[in-house]
Amino acid sequence: MTRTSDPGTRKNADAVPRIAFKDVRKSFGTIRVLDGVSMRVNPGEVLCIIGPSGSGKSTLLKCANALEPIQGGRIVFDGATLPSRADDIRKVRQRMGMVFQSFELFPHMTALENVAVGPATVLGLDRARARDRAVALLDKVGLADKHAQYPSALSGGQQQRVAIARALAMEPEVMLFDEPASALDPETIGEVLNVMKRLADEGMTMLVVTHEMNFARRVADWVVVIDHGQIVEEGVPGQIFDAAREARTRDFLSHLEWRG
Amino acid sequence: MIGFTLRLLRCLGPTWLRPLIVFYIDSMRAIPVLVVVWTFFAFPILFGITMMPIVAAVGAISVHVAASLAEIVRAGIESIRQGQSWAGLALGMTQAQLLRKIILPQAIKRVLPVLATTWVALFEDTSLVSIIVVSDLAYTAMQIRSKTFRILEMLTAMAVIYWAMGYPQAKLTDWIHRGMAGRE
Repeated sequence: MTRTSDPGTRKNADAVPRIAFKDVRKSFGTIRVLDGVSMRVNPGEVLCIIGPSGSGKSTLLKCANALEPIQGGRIVFDGATLPSRADDIRKVRQRMGMVFQSFELFPHMTALENVAVGPATVLGLDRARARDRAVALLDKVGLADKHAQYPSALSGGQQQRVAIARALAMEPEVMLFDEPASALDPETIGEVLNVMKRLADEGMTMLVVTHEMNFARRVADWVVVIDHGQIVEEGVPGQIFDAAREARTRDFLSHLEWRG
Repeated sequence: MIGFTLRLLRCLGPTWLRPLIVFYIDSMRAIPVLVVVWTFFAFPILFGITMMPIVAAVGAISVHVAASLAEIVRAGIESIRQGQSWAGLALGMTQAQLLRKIILPQAIKRVLPVLATTWVALFEDTSLVSIIVVSDLAYTAMQIRSKTFRILEMLTAMAVIYWAMGYPQAKLTDWIHRGMAGRE
């Protein structure tokens, strides 16, 4: 029932996928959240996952990072199934950056400390080098003047940009974004999406769960539509947004227009 | 310190240890400190061991207050939302790093007012050790009272001294808390 565009049109289709989901199943109690999801994220690809609220999109992302256990199927990162030993999982997580809907900055640290804590604690960089890296990344996300601010003194958009810098500080190979703009005021959404766009232009592999259809349309290489824990349809943005084959995709997109 | 260790063991320690710790904490919450003090002093005597009163007193109060502290720290840790753990883990932190760098600094700050209250209560609880003849303030006051029969003066003096020692502690903890609140 799932239809796919010709894989030949897809970026790095013949490379080893950065992340591959193979028949992934996941339940919370009796509620089935992911019901046999199979998809791949190719190197350098920006893949956007869209779909109705509660369809399992965010859970899929947390499973990719082993923050949520799965009950069936496999998740393969760079050719190797996600390990189960805590030490090995941490090694994999260090190679994936994650950005959360609600930022989850550490409130007791300044912006600079938030970005430096990963390299300093996990990678064992000395303070000066961790700090230098944090300074450079805050500059990159346009927050050169906010180093000493605590998160509570920053706007939502600024907090989310710090969170992106924090994830980048680990020099990840993949970035996972869980509805990065959903908790933002409309006027700050753009600044976050611009940072993400620039990251995409630099060739970062990105897996983005989003409700920002304009972002998906303009930046994504590949779009996956999920509903009720299953993939409804996937393809290039042009196909999904302009020539969706599945009624459920068209249905979902028309509901979005309704919201205005 | 004991309370803290207990708390950590309760969530991170070996599985067989955890129910024991829960039992200990719940028992201590069910028993007044006075009884614990008495038990610490009296039980060893049954076995022919005489504890020095001061050792029994310090031991009993530590053991009792540790249970409350463990519960307070637990409340603090559980009040930190799960996203904070996710964020730390997603960076590749170990459970220990997560606890030390992310969770505890926030948790301690949240429960500091309660910790401070417990600390002052602990100070006041020391008056209970007079029942096993440790010469603390209350015991000494009672001694003087029974020699001089100047009840009102002694009790007033005792109250004033307790206040003079306790009030600054309460204020100090308030002050620490305000200092920390400023940095967020």
